[in-house]
Amino acid sequence: MSMTQLAPGRPGPAAKVVRGAPPGRPLRRRFPLAPYLMILPFFLSFIAFGAYPLLFALRLSFTNWKGSGELRWIGLGNYTYLLTSSEFWASLANSGIMWLLIVPVQTIGAVAIAAALSQAGLRGRGFFRTTLIVPFVTPLIAMAQVWILLFDADFGAVNAALEAVGLPSIGWLTTTAWSKPTIALLVLWKTTGFAIVIMLAAIQGISDDVYEAADIDGAGVWHKFWSITVPLMRRAIAFYVVIATLGISQMFAEPYVMTKGGPYNSTITSGLFLYNHIGSSDLGLGAANSFLLVLLVFLLSLVSVRLLRSKED
Amino acid sequence: MSASTTTGSQRLRTFVVYAGMAVLLAVFLYPLWWMASSSFKPGSEIVTSPLSFDPRDFTLDHYRAMFASVPIWTGFLNTAIMLVLKGGITLVFCPLAGFAFAKYNFPGKNFLFGFILLTLMLPTLVLVIPLLLEMSLLNWVNTYQGLVLPGAIDAFSIFWMRQVIAGIPDELLEAGRLDGCSALGLYRRIVLPVIRPGLAALAVLTFLNIYNDFLWPVIVVNDASKQTLQVVLSNLSLSIASAQVDSSPATVWGQLLAATTVASIPVVIIFVLLQRHFVRGILAGSTK
Repeated sequence: MSMTQLAPGRPGPAAKVVRGAPPGRPLRRRFPLAPYLMILPFFLSFIAFGAYPLLFALRLSFTNWKGSGELRWIGLGNYTYLLTSSEFWASLANSGIMWLLIVPVQTIGAVAIAAALSQAGLRGRGFFRTTLIVPFVTPLIAMAQVWILLFDADFGAVNAALEAVGLPSIGWLTTTAWSKPTIALLVLWKTTGFAIVIMLAAIQGISDDVYEAADIDGAGVWHKFWSITVPLMRRAIAFYVVIATLGISQMFAEPYVMTKGGPYNSTITSGLFLYNHIGSSDLGLGAANSFLLVLLVFLLSLVSVRLLRSKED
Repeated sequence: MSASTTTGSQRLRTFVVYAGMAVLLAVFLYPLWWMASSSFKPGSEIVTSPLSFDPRDFTLDHYRAMFASVPIWTGFLNTAIMLVLKGGITLVFCPLAGFAFAKYNFPGKNFLFGFILLTLMLPTLVLVIPLLLEMSLLNWVNTYQGLVLPGAIDAFSIFWMRQVIAGIPDELLEAGRLDGCSALGLYRRIVLPVIRPGLAALAVLTFLNIYNDFLWPVIVVNDASKQTLQVVLSNLSLSIASAQVDSSPATVWGQLLAATTVASIPVVIIFVLLQRHFVRGILAGSTK
């Protein structure tokens, strides 16, 4: 506003600058203050609720603070404690197993289903896409509660179905062998539709010409899938693997609601392990744990981005 | 795609795809069907015959009992407050920042935008402990401002809105500027009307995120009167069991399923009605 009011003070040149400005940068120097004001709220909010707690956490991670009293400096004590604690490594291992149970089968499945849905002449694609994504929009906590009942060892529908076909019932959430797969099934149920939609969009981005050229060469369906579809979807696949990995490294609500980490700590994921520090008021330790987790997430993202780059070459 | 004649093998393949999709959709929808149908079954039947559904036994008993024992209206109310306040902040400030990054040149722009992208890498989980301490320092634990303000202006929404606004032709803004529009005037009169579909997608995605958010609400709120819907849902078995003497699965399960049905079905219906925006919103993250 102020700039436009100033303009009449030097009418000739100002008007000329406006008319002559190249289209790529039309707003340059017209409102130097406005863009800063527009982005200011984010940075204020980040300083208050991002940078400040982050620095506070960094300081806290070098203390043995328990939520009250003096902050006592213990150097790298929390870090060395965690890195030598079997519980910390067990939580990472639990998350790693979750990753193995979820990401490979989900990614491969999503690509295959998306490819099947992209076939020429298939009707009802929009209907399939809508229905597939319904589990993704349901509230996680509600569905985790339903999962507990569905997979109940004594009265659950899943065991009832197993018994109906003559199979033995399974202690889904009560045995260490099945607790992780049962949680993984919930994640698979809830997020696979999302993965399929991403892969569908990626396949639709592939030009028809490529397939027509392959048709002329007499390529079969499988050959086209492996030598055209999959390579051209690498970007989308890598993107999905990155977000799935980030999500699983922070997994917290599923075990929190379904098992509280049990049985025998078999479902204490890295996210739940971190949360448990709050319950026991080990805030210094929890802060150190946060930073180790950030470092890990950062390294995982770096590796994924690397993989994405090398594949593009 | 290709106009080749329909061969036998092609027809077979289409059939296999339809059959496979039918199985997949059944698996995807069954848990929701089981949840909703079981919530109308008499309690004893939920546990004795979990697989059957007889419409003649239809009962609303579980709903009546659930509304008495579970503070679900409190949850809905607090989630609604959060949707209005937090969603409002997101929808006002994020597109505005996106506009600045998309259509202005100013010193430090690339650095600041890169910084915003960098904060995307910061997992919420890491900030949770110090943020909770900050809230208790401010006396914001168990308050709406504590629930709403952290993370309301989020980096992803700014990034996304920048992409959307970058698609507006510069000539359009130029014309508005020659008419003497101020920065906010340009935004209100030219940018907002053009990006309405993008804003709708952002609104839908923000709604979904806030409605389903759990980690921060469960940490910053422990007062029962401020619990959001998801926090109420996470304590279901506790609140149901403490409301009655008999806590056998036969009496608890029906109420639990009634509560999860009430919490889930509205979102599913909203999704089906707005599915075009939803899918666009979800895809926006993937097609960077």
